[in-house]
Amino acid sequence: MPRPEVAGLRSRGRWPPPAGPRVALVGSRRPSPYGEAVAEQLGCHLAAAGVIVISGLALGIDAAAHRGALNGGGTTVAVMGTGVDLVYPAAHSRLAEDILASGGALVSQFADGTQPRRGNFPARNWTMAALSDAVVVVEAAEGSGALITAQAALELDREVLAVPGSIFSPLSVGAHGLIRDGAGLVQNARDVLAVLGVQLEVLDDPLKPPPGVGFEPARARDGLLIHLSEAMAVSVAELARKVRLPVAEVLGRLTSLELEGAVRRHAGGYVKALRRGGGRA
Amino acid sequence: MLASVDSCLLAGMEGRLVEVQADAANGDPHFFLVGLASASVKEARDRVRSAIRNSGMRFPQRRLTVNLAPPEMRKEGSCLDLPIAVAILLAHQGLKPPPRSAFLGELALDGTVRHVDGVLVAARWLRRRGYEQIFVPHADAGEAGFVDGIDVIPCLDLAGVMRHLTGVEPIPAVLTRPPDVEPLRSTEHDLAEVHGQEEARRALEIAAAGGHHVLMSGPPGAGKTMLARCLPGILPPLELGEALEVAQVRSLLGELPPGRPVDWVRPFRAPHHGISLAGLIGGGSGLANPGEISRSHHGVLFLDELAEFQSTVLQALRQPMEAGRVAITRSGGSVVYPARFTLVAATNPCPCGWAGDVRRACRCTPAAIDSYQRKLSGPLLDRIDLKVNVRRVPPALLASEPVGEASEPVRERVIAARRRQHERQGCLNAMLKPARLRAHASLEPSSRRTLERWADQQGLSARGFHRAWRVARTAADLDASERIDDRHVLEALGYRLHDAAA
Repeated sequence: MPRPEVAGLRSRGRWPPPAGPRVALVGSRRPSPYGEAVAEQLGCHLAAAGVIVISGLALGIDAAAHRGALNGGGTTVAVMGTGVDLVYPAAHSRLAEDILASGGALVSQFADGTQPRRGNFPARNWTMAALSDAVVVVEAAEGSGALITAQAALELDREVLAVPGSIFSPLSVGAHGLIRDGAGLVQNARDVLAVLGVQLEVLDDPLKPPPGVGFEPARARDGLLIHLSEAMAVSVAELARKVRLPVAEVLGRLTSLELEGAVRRHAGGYVKALRRGGGRA
Repeated sequence: MLASVDSCLLAGMEGRLVEVQADAANGDPHFFLVGLASASVKEARDRVRSAIRNSGMRFPQRRLTVNLAPPEMRKEGSCLDLPIAVAILLAHQGLKPPPRSAFLGELALDGTVRHVDGVLVAARWLRRRGYEQIFVPHADAGEAGFVDGIDVIPCLDLAGVMRHLTGVEPIPAVLTRPPDVEPLRSTEHDLAEVHGQEEARRALEIAAAGGHHVLMSGPPGAGKTMLARCLPGILPPLELGEALEVAQVRSLLGELPPGRPVDWVRPFRAPHHGISLAGLIGGGSGLANPGEISRSHHGVLFLDELAEFQSTVLQALRQPMEAGRVAITRSGGSVVYPARFTLVAATNPCPCGWAGDVRRACRCTPAAIDSYQRKLSGPLLDRIDLKVNVRRVPPALLASEPVGEASEPVRERVIAARRRQHERQGCLNAMLKPARLRAHASLEPSSRRTLERWADQQGLSARGFHRAWRVARTAADLDASERIDDRHVLEALGYRLHDAAA
C-alpha cells in the first residue's frame, strides 16, 4: 500500500525508521488500568512482530504504547506536539531517551523550541495518522484527541481500529463509536497484523511475547474478586452492598488483596489488577 | 470622698481586673476620666452623666475624678459604664461597695443596664479570684448563674442598683445552679437519612470514636456535606465542663441565646472557603476575637472544598490542631482561645470534580489534577488520620427508603469506645504520640507483620505507619477488643491518604 513519506519533519534519532509496517497506538492521557495494560501489551506484541509503533509521547496510553514497544525489543517513534528538542511532559524525558537509545526516533513538524500549545496537538495528530498504516484507538472518551487521529486516518485512507471496553466506562465511548461506524475490532496484536496484511517473516510466533511482558488477570482466591473488573472501579460501599458484608470487613479484605497485588485502587474505588506475567517481572 | 469599685475586662478567656476609683472633691464642677481609657470608654462619661440624671438622681456638681487602674492597661468596651456610675454615686454619698464584689454592665441614657458580652467568662474568672458577689446586666444573669460559688445580682437599671446598695430595696441574687443535663435531642441530621455511603459512615464512626480528623473526597453532590453534618449527632453529648467552655466562647461573642445559654449538642461550623485567616483562626484589631476554630471547640469544623481555601489559612490550622488551643497576638496583647475540634475536610478529586465518576468523564488535564492534589498534600494532611472516598449514590438507591443505621446506635458504640480509651490511656487515640502508641496500642505479632509488610511494599512513611496504627487502635476499640488484630490493621490501611501524601 502506498504511503508517501511526510516531508519537512524535524527529527532526532534514526529517521526515517527501518522499513516496515507502522501502527499508531493512541488514546486517553488518563486511561483506566485496563486501557494502560492493553496499550502496553499491544505495543509490546506489535513491536515484537516487527511493527514500528508510533505514538505521541503523552501521558497515559501513549506512554504505555512506547514502553510496551521498548519492552518488546522493537522500534518506536514519538510524534511530538512540541519542538523535538523539548520533551513534553518533562516527566517523559527518560522515556524519550530510551526511545532514542533503542533506535527509535522523536519527530515533529514544529520548529525547535516550540512550546506545548493547545492548538498544535490536533495538527500533530494528523501527522501521526499520516505517518502510519493503521491507527488503533485504545481508550478515548468523547471528544478525545485520539478521535482526531482516527478521523485524520479515515481521511488519509489509513486503517482505523479500536479496542472495546466496558459499555459503562466513559473512557470507552470513543472506541465503541468507531467500531459501530466500521472500525476494526482489536482483541490482540494478531487482529492488527491481519488488517495490515503483514507477511510475518520476522518471528516464528509473533504472539509469543518475550519473557516478562504481557499481562494476565490477577489470581487470588478471595470471592470478592468476581465482583471486580479490570476497567471499572467499584467502590467499597457498592461492593459491601453486593456481598452483604460489613464495610469494615470488605475494606480489610480489599486491603489484603491489594497487599497481594490482586487489586489496586483506581478512581475512588478498586479494580482488579492486571499482573505482569512471565518470568522476569 | 473616695470610693472604689471593681470590675473586669476580658482578654480572651481570661479576665483582667480593673479598679474604678472615683473621687468627689470640692471645687469647680468637672468630670475627669483618667487611666488609659480608649475612645469607647471615654464615651462612658456622657452615658454615665445622662444615666444618672435620668434615673431620678442628681449628677454630683463637684470636681469628679475617675481613675481606671491599673493605668498602664488599655481599656476598651462599654462594660465599665455601670462600675463608673456606681463609683461616682458611692463616692458622692460617702458609701462603700459590698466587700469582694464586682460590677459589669453598659448603661443606656435612661439608666437601663444593658447586655455586655462575655459575662459567663467574667463570672467564672472573678469566682476564681475570690469574688463573692457580681452585679451583671439582667439579660446576662442567666449565663452568670451557671457559675456556682458566687452571688449574681441581676441589674435592671441604675436606680435599682443604688436602692440595693443603700439597703432600701435589696435585689435577690439569682439562684445559681448547674444547668440541667437534657437528654440529647435528636439532632437535625441523622445517619438514618443517608442513602448508601457505607464506607463514609464507617469512617465517620471511627473518627467520632477515636477523635480522628477525616478527609472526604468525591464529586459534587455525592453527599459530603450531609455526611459531615451527621458527625455531631454520633458524638457523645457535651459534658458540663465542655458545655461551659463552648458557652464561654459564645458568651464572648455575645451569641448566647438568653433562653438556653447552655447547649449540649456539639457545635458544627462550616465556614466558606473564602474565609480570611482572622476569620478562621481568630483576629481583629486591639484584642483578637475568637475565630471559627474556637467556635467549633469540642465540636466539628467542616471545611468544604478544602483545595479552594487559601493555603496560608490552611497552614495556620496546624498549630491549633496540635495544641487544642490557639494563641493570637494583636496590638492590644496576646490572647489564648480553646480550639479542640474534629476537622472534617471535603474535596473534589479534581478541579472539575468528576474524576473517577462512572457517568461523567473528567475534563481536567493531568497537570491540573496534579497541582490540585499537591495543594492538598503537605503538613495539614499529615494531621488527618482518615481518608475516605465518597461516590455519588445511584439514583435507584436514592428513590428507595434508606436502610442505614440511625445515629443513636452508632453514638452508643462511639461512647463505649471512647470510654475504653479514657480508661486505658486518659485521652483519645488520635492524640497518642508514637511512644504512647507503643505503650497503649501494642500490636499482635501478625498485625505488626501486616503493617510492616505494607510499609515495605507500598513505601509507607513513618507518619503513614503511625496513622494506620492509631486508626487500627480505634477500630479495635469499636470492636471492644484490647488486641489489635490483623483485620483492624487491614481496615485502617484502607483509609490511608493518597499515596503521595501518605
